[in-house]
Amino acid sequence: MLEKNHQNSGAQKTTSSAADRYQVIGKPMPRHDAWPKATGETIYAGDYKRPGMLYAKALRSEYAAAELVAIDTREALAMPGVAAVLTAKDVPHNETVTRFGQTHTVGGFEGLYRVLADKKIRFKGEAVALVAAKTLAIAQAAMEKIKVTYKPLEGVFDPETAMQPDAYPVGEDASNVVCSYKVRKGDVAKGFAAADVIVENRYRTQMVDHAYLEPEAGVAWLDDDGVITIRAATQVIEHFRGIADVLGVPQNRVRVITPMLGGGFGGKEDITVETYLALLVQKTRKPVSLTYTREESILAHSKRHPYVMYYKTGATKNGKLVAMEARLISDAGGYVYLSPWVLLYSTVTATGPYDITNVKVDTFTVLTNNTFTSANRGFGANQPCFAYEAQLDELAKKLGMAPLAIRRKNYLHTGDALASGRVLEHAVETEQTAVKALEALGPPSRPRSDRQRIGQGIASGISPYGRMMFLHDTSRSFVSVELDGSATVRCGVQDLGGGQASTLAQITAEVLGIPMEKVTVFHGDSSLTPLAGTTTATRQLYMSGNATLKAAAAVRQNLLRKAGTMMAVDPDFLDIRDETVFVQTARKPWVITESESGECQVTYGGDRGDLIAAEMCPDPDPDKTLPLRDVIRAAAADGIALFNVAQFNAPARELIDFKTGQGQVWPDLTFGTVAMEVAVDIETGTIEVLKLISCFDVGQAINPLSAEGQLEGGAVYGLGYGLTEDIILEKGITLTPTLSEYLLPTAMDTPAVRTIMLQSGGGIGPFGAKGIGEPSNVPPAAALANAVANAIGVRVYDLPVFPEKVLKALGRI
Amino acid sequence: MQTVEYLKPADMNELAALMQQYAARATFIAGGTNLIPDMRSGRHRPEVLLDIGDLKAMNAIALNDDHLSIGAAATIARIAADATVNAHCPILAAAAAKLGNPLTRNRATIGGNLANASPCADTAPPLLSLEALVEIMDVKGQQRQVPLDKFFRGYKWTDLAPGEVITRIVVPKPSSGMQGGHTKLGLRKAAAICVASVAVMLEKENDHIAKARVAFGSVAPKPIRAYRLEAFFEGKAADATLLSQCEPILQQEIAPISDIRGSEAYRRQVTAVIFKRNLQELLWS
Amino acid sequence: MKTYPITIELNGEARNTDVSATETLLDVLRNKFDAVEVKNGCEQGDCGACTVMLDGKAVNACLVLALQASGKAVTTVKGIGSQTSPHALQRAFVEQGAIQCGYCTAGMITAAKALLDEKSTATTAEIRQAISGNLCRCTGYKKIVAAIESVAKKEPATHKR
Repeated sequence: MLEKNHQNSGAQKTTSSAADRYQVIGKPMPRHDAWPKATGETIYAGDYKRPGMLYAKALRSEYAAAELVAIDTREALAMPGVAAVLTAKDVPHNETVTRFGQTHTVGGFEGLYRVLADKKIRFKGEAVALVAAKTLAIAQAAMEKIKVTYKPLEGVFDPETAMQPDAYPVGEDASNVVCSYKVRKGDVAKGFAAADVIVENRYRTQMVDHAYLEPEAGVAWLDDDGVITIRAATQVIEHFRGIADVLGVPQNRVRVITPMLGGGFGGKEDITVETYLALLVQKTRKPVSLTYTREESILAHSKRHPYVMYYKTGATKNGKLVAMEARLISDAGGYVYLSPWVLLYSTVTATGPYDITNVKVDTFTVLTNNTFTSANRGFGANQPCFAYEAQLDELAKKLGMAPLAIRRKNYLHTGDALASGRVLEHAVETEQTAVKALEALGPPSRPRSDRQRIGQGIASGISPYGRMMFLHDTSRSFVSVELDGSATVRCGVQDLGGGQASTLAQITAEVLGIPMEKVTVFHGDSSLTPLAGTTTATRQLYMSGNATLKAAAAVRQNLLRKAGTMMAVDPDFLDIRDETVFVQTARKPWVITESESGECQVTYGGDRGDLIAAEMCPDPDPDKTLPLRDVIRAAAADGIALFNVAQFNAPARELIDFKTGQGQVWPDLTFGTVAMEVAVDIETGTIEVLKLISCFDVGQAINPLSAEGQLEGGAVYGLGYGLTEDIILEKGITLTPTLSEYLLPTAMDTPAVRTIMLQSGGGIGPFGAKGIGEPSNVPPAAALANAVANAIGVRVYDLPVFPEKVLKALGRI
Repeated sequence: MQTVEYLKPADMNELAALMQQYAARATFIAGGTNLIPDMRSGRHRPEVLLDIGDLKAMNAIALNDDHLSIGAAATIARIAADATVNAHCPILAAAAAKLGNPLTRNRATIGGNLANASPCADTAPPLLSLEALVEIMDVKGQQRQVPLDKFFRGYKWTDLAPGEVITRIVVPKPSSGMQGGHTKLGLRKAAAICVASVAVMLEKENDHIAKARVAFGSVAPKPIRAYRLEAFFEGKAADATLLSQCEPILQQEIAPISDIRGSEAYRRQVTAVIFKRNLQELLWS
Repeated sequence: MKTYPITIELNGEARNTDVSATETLLDVLRNKFDAVEVKNGCEQGDCGACTVMLDGKAVNACLVLALQASGKAVTTVKGIGSQTSPHALQRAFVEQGAIQCGYCTAGMITAAKALLDEKSTATTAEIRQAISGNLCRCTGYKKIVAAIESVAKKEPATHKR
């Protein structure tokens, strides 16, 4: 049954506030994982110990491009205390061709993936051999005894060079171009002809690292049944399938558990330590521990794609965007990994949150011998944002318009379509976020000296949540109530620190009418918790949140049906609050609807302004109440199910047409604006960030503390991208091997971020929530670049905006 | 795996005895903020560690008639906060406060900072401009004092022979008319390796510059005194034209390189800027 | 490998073990004393995840040799408070949402405690400086600074332990 005034949009448009409608949703709650973290009790992946544990190290290649001629491990193997030394030949299935899906196989691009280096080295940092020994010191010493013979090869380190037909082949194919996409809308030649101003520029973005505080780590062992059990910091426990395939064992003989992560950001989305651990456990039959050093993490794990972007944008004298031509080239590094998908995100978001009449986008991702690039928070939405927001400011300047004014002429609204044809049917509040962000920025501060220039800048960003729809994404969750009224959630959700697990407790508490403290969440076990899918693509609130909502709603329905019998009241007129079942005056059911294709919606009648007479309770008796615990016990006695395991299916679409870029890629997108004020010293180039405002439509903040935390954290993650972070490679060799060279913003580099959350209720997540983990970090670098350009009157076209680049732009050096 | 020996002398006599015994095999550790990462990476493989960090004599900060004596093992944090240092050589305290981050400042020592002799050593430019001396004890227990500008010989190369240790830093009390300034530029506001730094000590007499001492960091293979720049300023009237006139001399004094933190051109530009700002501040505010 | 006996007062309790000259305090805390609440983020003094108090001063445990800590008092976050007896800083961090992944938390709270021990009414700027050696990748620092500030403004009695 679907509420009459709710369309099939999943939107929860209500007039009353969350505080009126919900018991815990929308309230700032401490997370259940907060106390153990505050008191040092949480056991992270690298903290875990098992008796008899061996210590592992990975030997990594010395060259970025080389033929791997020979490896001699005899001396290392002979060392006392060494339990195993493995190379490619010891891996049952060392090579796989990834048909990306992460959770399952899906058509599309193929990329060669190797567990250990073989034949040809493709980036410096590729693992060549694995050692397990009694102590870390012995493993280290054994590594030094492994003799590797390389034949250095020329290599290629620039994607535009690598694209050329005669370029050095990084892999086994003649061409380094992994894939390319196009978007075509209208006729750009006509569009530019009609434009009154045209701006054409080249933009570059740098390689950056996720730099989570917790380096990659894990411990693995054989359980009593011989199942290879891996407890590792991972965003994807579903990798157990790929790991099993590598080892040549059945998929149900590998178990991946993830504890609380010390940060992920997409860097622990691909397999890091898991397969190495599994191989060593399979070989030694002993528990094995592997933790990367920070240097190893910077050297060897995935990075954000550097991009070169050629943008040409045309507008009429009124500021209407009539033509945009963009050519984007990303550096895929030594292996394909998720490059095709990151590129797809860039392709579809290349136009930004704007309506542009004529569009031509061509994008390419190209292999080089640089560190391999893959997922990083934003997944390809960040780089184009830097470009399209700069283009808008430059057009504005030429037209004598204010940055906000030109944007307001072009913002997409609900019901408009992206250049790729996708209609934005859910809430699109970009314009509101820009107005509010700029308002909060206030008038420019006064410079403190005559060598200081103050600048303000805004940037609006568009970033999806939920995975690509051709993946037919699903998520599962189990909810039960215990006989004493406490509740249990079992869900494979991986918690990176964004409160992914705690949110499920909050949702369950809301639906079951019990305090959040009475819900316990067991998460992240591929054998024991229903698989929730990856913690990536800003999808967990949407997916496992909805799955949990669905499961909890089913349990609730069972309980209320029983209560209805016990109280002689129609269950639709019963509600649960503070562990008590009571009669409510109007029909307010939880409704789960499932379409024929498996798409689900969970809606809550909630509090509505106008109540229909037919839906009023005929006999509301406020004294008719029952403790929930009594209902549970009665239901248990009847054999009524007190649990439910639910699967939530996201809407699915076929793969889009890569030649035209037309089609729908994601279920929904999040829109927001970041505003920044900077003070630039025009003689030293030093930039100080004075104000940082982040305004996003979050749909519904499930936990305002968490939602703010994502906006604040995303703002600073993006600020680092714009201001201080740069992984510098020279012919594939890193010159920034530690956190002394790779600079993250410290507490002294960041102002207090001011966040403004709009809550349109127009998201498709539980209670109308939108995903914000990635979207929050998409605009800040662009806003910074715009603010600096505003301060000094000239623009820096490549990130990060280092002081030296400011001086170069000013012509001072 | 090579075994490393560790010894912690209780006082200076014990230290001298150990130094005589181990001679060139001894490596000194106080804060260890450079040495420990170097040991981990293999850049340094010491045989014998002599821990001098807690030696009372090497931790003392004392004001004498004509000089300030700072024990080599005094931590950077202590120096930054010390009342005597702040009163008599505030630019040293200022530079100390900008070294590393608060956690490393609680361990790093002034002796270690100088012995490590990085061209970016944060305490070096102020100490050079203060004409400080380092007191060194050799393996035979004999002391010598070496002016800091002679102590730094080249890139990470000092006057210390193997087995020798800095015991204290001697800072002559600046005359009452001497005022100082210090600027450090880095790529972020905390925990930043220096891109360029300057320390200036100036004494004015009736609108003329009576004495000038200038030192730069991170713009040469070692921290340097800029003698020719000093000579240029001394005796001159404190006139705004000095700022442009001194530029070519300044550029001749420094020899910055291009590295991941910045190009030579950038360093030349900003060094001149921060030097002139300090000069302006000292002469005309 | 030559080893030496050391005694460290860890969170008020005397602990003994044998160490080599090159083992760091971080190594010993995590591997020999099971004090895994002290995290390893970089082993170079760049990130602050391993912050402990050594005789009351906040330091990077990775930059102290175990031998150098012998005879001294080491305080980790577990010595600052527990769930049954939490410190005001821990409560503030939890209640104000200043913890996301939590990996920097132990170090942050320890650095904050050291600051407030020295200066109970620290200003915002002083707080930001005191934690400038503690990197956080998740929170953007705002709620961390606010949490510390909220404790700093209270009566000194609430944060002296």
